Amino acid sequence: MLFAWMLIIAFLAFIACMFEDLESDIGSQSNPNSQIQLAPEMGYIHRYFNKAISGEGLSYALSCTISGTIAMLILLQLESVGPKAAILAIPVGAAVGSLVHMVRSSVCHVGREAAHKRFEQPIYLDVLYGHLLPIATHNFLAVICITAIAYIQSNLGILSGVAGASNPFPLPLLCLIWGLTVGAIGSSTGDIHYGTERAFQDKPFGEGRRVVYHGQICRYADCGVRTSKDVAAFCAKFGGPATGLAFGLIVLFENWRTVIGMTLGGVAGPGWNPSLAAAWGIGIGIVIAVVLVILARAIEKWARNKYGPFVGE
Amino acid sequence: MIEALLLVLVCIIIGGLLSSLAVHLMPVGGAPAAMSTATGIATGCVMLMTGAAVTGLFTASTVASFWVTKPNVILVALSGAVGSMLMMGFTMFVGNLIYIFGAGIVPCSGRVAVDPITKDSQTEYKTPRTDGHGVPTASFVSGILGGFSGGFGGALIYVVLVSDSYAHFSVATAGIVAMGIFIANAIIAAYNIGGTIEGFHDPKFKARIRTGLTCSLIVSVLCGVIIVIAMLTGTLAGGVM
Repeated sequence: MLFAWMLIIAFLAFIACMFEDLESDIGSQSNPNSQIQLAPEMGYIHRYFNKAISGEGLSYALSCTISGTIAMLILLQLESVGPKAAILAIPVGAAVGSLVHMVRSSVCHVGREAAHKRFEQPIYLDVLYGHLLPIATHNFLAVICITAIAYIQSNLGILSGVAGASNPFPLPLLCLIWGLTVGAIGSSTGDIHYGTERAFQDKPFGEGRRVVYHGQICRYADCGVRTSKDVAAFCAKFGGPATGLAFGLIVLFENWRTVIGMTLGGVAGPGWNPSLAAAWGIGIGIVIAVVLVILARAIEKWARNKYGPFVGE
Repeated sequence: MIEALLLVLVCIIIGGLLSSLAVHLMPVGGAPAAMSTATGIATGCVMLMTGAAVTGLFTASTVASFWVTKPNVILVALSGAVGSMLMMGFTMFVGNLIYIFGAGIVPCSGRVAVDPITKDSQTEYKTPRTDGHGVPTASFVSGILGGFSGGFGGALIYVVLVSDSYAHFSVATAGIVAMGIFIANAIIAAYNIGGTIEGFHDPKFKARIRTGLTCSLIVSVLCGVIIVIAMLTGTLAGGVM
């Protein structure tokens, strides 16, 4: 049962981080926002949604913590119902978290675009209205998955029937932890596909974006003028799922090595040895890290051989 | 009692120093890295390191609960270190996958001509008028070491705060306080770095690490003194949540 729950958590983590990255792409949050912000100053009037509430980690930590706090309050109110109360508590918590996120997005976009008046960047109302719902829905999916992960982890002992499997942190704190992590990963990995590729699709493929290109973003779509919704459609084909994979793998291997360690340490049995369980977890983790370094080197070598040195001016 | 107070103070200082060292070891490219204009991971130092540290903190909290009383400080701190290391490893690995397969870019350093670990030449793979792109092997290894160091520091602070042999804070309070001390050190280190850094091989690392660690020492001593006062007065002990 412990392994089954672990796989559910990993799957939820995959979904959460994928939608987190796509939501940040729709709102041009985090790193690529520097280009959307710079574009009007370079004479590139655009129809992208421009929000930079904060770094993705903090923004998602707030959304998820609001969600976790509301969910915990509902769970405490409905304690007599039992674990079934989570069916109501988690979605309601996530809905409140994403509504707050939507409010912050709208204020942020209007404020930023108003500041660009001197560069003749208009505030397109259809851009504002058209992007708020996709932002809220993508955010909702990310937050509901994180809250569900936090709920499962804080009640894993009861759900799996293995005593001592629950994480000691309360639900809101787990939401804060995973919210911070999901944002940090979404910012570190998914943004590359948007910032390097989608935002500069009219520039040569396969080279770093030179400083002179900064601000000269691609403003035209396959048909008509590009908006941030087109960015999400593009990044959903590679950047979003890859980001989801990163978080999913982290959560999977983090839980897996701990569970394997617990099993080898004689979990919930008379021969329970906590030091042995912890040592096994550490050992397995170090082996995974070494494998990652080898894989990273192999893929770098492959890219160097396949693509070759830089050609051009 | 005095022994426990001193041990908590020393562990907080060591944890703080390791957190600061970790941030300096991170290959952080910031916003330019997202546009493949700089080598490293495409996010800010604090964001990345905090994400890694809290992942380690999660595992450390689970491992600390293996013991009914008196958790093993070294094993819990090592569990946290490995957790952060894995978070960093997977993030850098998938980041490189997107650079290579999503944007057709070869990872290379912009600060050194030869990778100090693989001895591969970097200059001819670099796009002109950029500061490198992707996460080359030296930066990858540096990031892994940084994750280990930061995770160890964060988890060490957590375990001495939560252990009934030392500070005996509640689990939630210990988690929040450990995160707070860690973030304070990470922000100071980020100011010291001032932009992007590629890892231990970056000339910036050698030039700035002393200042960073000195500032971290001051911050950690201040944080440690506040914790010791809290332990003596009992304001935080037993938990406020």
